[in-house]
Amino acid sequence: MAARGTRGQGLMARAAASPHIVWSVLFIIAPLLFVVYYTFTDADGAFTTENVSRLFTSNYVLIFVNSVCLAFIATVICLVIAYPTAYLFSRMKAKRQRAAVLLIMIPLWMNFLITTYSWMTLLEDTGIINSALRRIGLGAAHMINTPGAVVVGMVFCFLPYMILPIYTVMSGIDEKLLEASADLGCNGWQRLVRVVMPMSLSGVVSGITMVFVPSISTFYISQKLGGGTFQLIGDTIESYFVGSAINYHFGAALSLVLMVLILISMAVMNHYTDSESGERTKMV
Amino acid sequence: MNGKKLIELRGITKAFDGEVVLDNISLDIYEDEFITLLGPSGCGKTTTLRIIGGFETPDKGDVIFDGKRINDTPPHKRHINTVFQKYALFPHLNVYENIAFGLRVSGLKDEEEISRRVREMLEMVNLRGFERRHVTKLSGGQQQRVAIARALINKPRVLLLDEPLGALDLKLRKDMQNELKGMQKRTGITFIYVTHDQEEALSMSDTVVVMNNGSIMQIGTPTDIYNEPSNAYVADFIGESNIVDGVMLDDYSVKLAGHTFVCVDKGFGKNTPVDVVIRPEDVDVVPTAEGELCGHVVSVTFKGVHYEVIVDIDGFKWMIQTTDYVAPDTDIGVKIEPDAFHIMNKSEYSGMFGDYSSFSDELDQLSENGGEDD
Amino acid sequence: MRKHGLLLSAALCASLLLFALSSCSGGEHDDLYVYNWGEYISDGSEDSLNVTEEFEAYYEELTGRPMKVHYTTYPSNEDMYAKISGGTSNYDVIIPSDYMIERMIGEGLLSEIDIEAVCEKYGAECYYEYIGDDYRGLFYDPEDKYSVPYTYGRVGVIYNKTMVDEEDLGGWELLWNEKYAGKILQFNNSRDGFATAMYMAGDDVNSTDPEVWRRAQAEMLRQKPIIQSYVMDEIYNKMESGEAAISAYYAGDYFTMLDINEDLGFYYPERTNVFVDAMCVPAGSANKEAAQLFINFMLSPEIAIANAEYIYYASPNSLVFEDEGYIEDMGEEAMEILYPEGFSFADELNTYAYKNLDAKTLELVNSLWEDMKITGGLPASVYVTAAVLAAAVAALIIAAAVRRRRRARWY
Repeated sequence: MAARGTRGQGLMARAAASPHIVWSVLFIIAPLLFVVYYTFTDADGAFTTENVSRLFTSNYVLIFVNSVCLAFIATVICLVIAYPTAYLFSRMKAKRQRAAVLLIMIPLWMNFLITTYSWMTLLEDTGIINSALRRIGLGAAHMINTPGAVVVGMVFCFLPYMILPIYTVMSGIDEKLLEASADLGCNGWQRLVRVVMPMSLSGVVSGITMVFVPSISTFYISQKLGGGTFQLIGDTIESYFVGSAINYHFGAALSLVLMVLILISMAVMNHYTDSESGERTKMV
Repeated sequence: MNGKKLIELRGITKAFDGEVVLDNISLDIYEDEFITLLGPSGCGKTTTLRIIGGFETPDKGDVIFDGKRINDTPPHKRHINTVFQKYALFPHLNVYENIAFGLRVSGLKDEEEISRRVREMLEMVNLRGFERRHVTKLSGGQQQRVAIARALINKPRVLLLDEPLGALDLKLRKDMQNELKGMQKRTGITFIYVTHDQEEALSMSDTVVVMNNGSIMQIGTPTDIYNEPSNAYVADFIGESNIVDGVMLDDYSVKLAGHTFVCVDKGFGKNTPVDVVIRPEDVDVVPTAEGELCGHVVSVTFKGVHYEVIVDIDGFKWMIQTTDYVAPDTDIGVKIEPDAFHIMNKSEYSGMFGDYSSFSDELDQLSENGGEDD
Repeated sequence: MRKHGLLLSAALCASLLLFALSSCSGGEHDDLYVYNWGEYISDGSEDSLNVTEEFEAYYEELTGRPMKVHYTTYPSNEDMYAKISGGTSNYDVIIPSDYMIERMIGEGLLSEIDIEAVCEKYGAECYYEYIGDDYRGLFYDPEDKYSVPYTYGRVGVIYNKTMVDEEDLGGWELLWNEKYAGKILQFNNSRDGFATAMYMAGDDVNSTDPEVWRRAQAEMLRQKPIIQSYVMDEIYNKMESGEAAISAYYAGDYFTMLDINEDLGFYYPERTNVFVDAMCVPAGSANKEAAQLFINFMLSPEIAIANAEYIYYASPNSLVFEDEGYIEDMGEEAMEILYPEGFSFADELNTYAYKNLDAKTLELVNSLWEDMKITGGLPASVYVTAAVLAAAVAALIIAAAVRRRRRARWY
């Protein structure tokens, strides 16, 4: 009797979990398998590694390098801006903190396509910033359609994703630990460097991931703000799937390589923080 | 204690959100002293400690350290270290680095020197060999000792301890009490200890400061506090005491519960109403015929060490601690030695502490509202 | 926990069911799924006629059944092709360009239509006869079995009169003029992009000779450094705001831009692309008759004129280009540009329209285009910045690791 009861329970539990399993299989696993399938077949369905090997020609390597460089720069800038901001927020009084966090979140409510388009109108040669500069008499600065504009777009779109995880981890650091460090002789700066920084590392890693991954695969930002004169990985993948040079096989190969690249960098980062053991922010 | 004043608190007042937490506190703390701030939750003892440490600033009053006013000196500049209630060990560092933290912060770069001093500390707290351990993997007692080592490595003049033993179990607590006492004697550092456990305070301290509601009730040695509480509050808080209404007829003579006793106190004038404190262990149980007072036994509880007997004497419930068995619901006589009486002037605390119908304030109020009058 | 799980799954199933049901036609009304280019129908904005609403009313009056038109848009033929060939969507009316129609016919993606027969069946007045003779029997659908022409257009050069010197005007060469470096826009798709170079060289835009395409790519590469941006939709903004000075685009779109920016001018180079967009019914349509009724409706005079005036493209419908009101509304300049004298549509179409390329050439074109797009790295400053930052980060990490190692030696 008891056995039947528990077996029934297990079935119920599994049934309850099944939507998640169904979802995962349908929308995550199956598409991944499709990508792998397309990567290793050619137009006739025969097995081939040419899709992948073609990616190691200098042109495509250059795209990867370009994408990585721009994404890297954008991520570093985000980190440099976000870290002190998150720290300041975490030390504010509670009411002000809430207002500050809200301010950060508001851009997220906007579709990032619109954000990118607005940056276009800001940065164009006839755009808002240049009009203002000309009125002051400072002449125009050519900003649009440059890698710089793309980096600005990336930073602006993804900055909240860097601030929030760092801020969350920082505000979770127990006040008593900071008091203890002050007690032991740390001034404000030392508290930041010796206590807050090591303990906020997990937030930093989250933030880096959440900025680097979309930055490296972006296509809209680079087209609108970069002018399409230099291609990034995202642009190329897009043109292979829906753009002007439809070829699912190359697109899949490119996507797969991008995925592997991202997984490797995440693994490296995780390994690094594991050995740091900076996971805990709560007191012992 | 060598008589030199180290810290002076002068007229410290502090309020949080309009609620006054410390009301004009003044206190002297000496070098090489083990001083305990004792009182119930909310009495202001922790706030006082934090003001000394620099984590709070007083609204009014001065904190003077070694003759200099340090109100505006931030914690990291004071030669004072703290052992926090929940230890506040750095979770991202191992034992060695936690202890070495203070040294590194002060700029010491010589690894050999650091190593020597860290090991010295580990030796002192009996944690030799624990250098590489991660603080999350330590037991409560071990963590506490790391916290102490971490605080002492800077060789501060004063160590603040904020109820550090609360989370430990009884036997470990007793051991740690002894260790702390020993450490203080060995290092000569002034320990300022905060607790609500009066037994702890009495067993460890050179000086006890009893606090209540933001004011200091009494300062003295443990024996003074225990034997000669200055008012009913202190008498009630420290140990068990029967606080009875009485009249001081004349020097050495006090009348209570309808009987006149000889006592050893004088100087209260003639026919003065007073509070009389009699410790439960000072009351002898005798047959009713021999008793100076008679009473009816309400309850008897076996405490292992002794029996705790609640006796109704003249409408007031007394507590008696005796190693002899007394049967409940019988009549007994009691005899009290003259020097067992401790006479106190009436104060605002008189009559606040009721009798032994119940032990705590909460049940007191319930019985006041619902029960018969005494 | 278990109870919650059950509740959750029930809720999920219910919502899925609801979702599925809502997208089925409930039998209350007929549905028509129209898939068209963006801004390619009079949709009721700016005081214009709302064609889909008018059709819904017309259909109900004609058949007695209510109709709901679901109207969606696509930015390019390739996008639309991807959707239709994917087989998952079932649109009823699509409006592809000539070469795409040819391809889709070849792949069996289009259904045969007979407007006159459907009109007769429903008793509707038929307007098919008003399609001009010039626009019948075109190369992509020689027997007019799959398509009805909707608009046609020609690509020309749009320029900003205040930013370009008059003496530089003329021919495709203007787009390669280094004087205007950084102010020139180019098409962001392979056919149109390469075509500008091929027309300029006098090559056949439908050549199967790889050399021809490579030449075109070489020209594109030569042009790349002076290009401001590769655009499709963004062109409106950039020309209207004066951000760019020179671009190539369709005549009808020129008029749309002219409305906003009066400084714009237009001319046709000697050889330029002519295209036809025609209405078709995909093979997978669930409502082929309603689709054909819609196509017929689009040919009716009031609707056809409203559309032609809204999108500014030339119409193959004689009810439009012979209508006096329309001629007057358009104005002389527009009529000249859209319906030039002596313009032999069929000839031009056959010579200069994009036709379907065979798979091998298509693959070559695609890869040449991609290579062209990819070529050219970033300015050195980017690489230098990245390298410097990487070095800084590495230095920090290494320093921290060294310090930790040094300390750890003591315990």
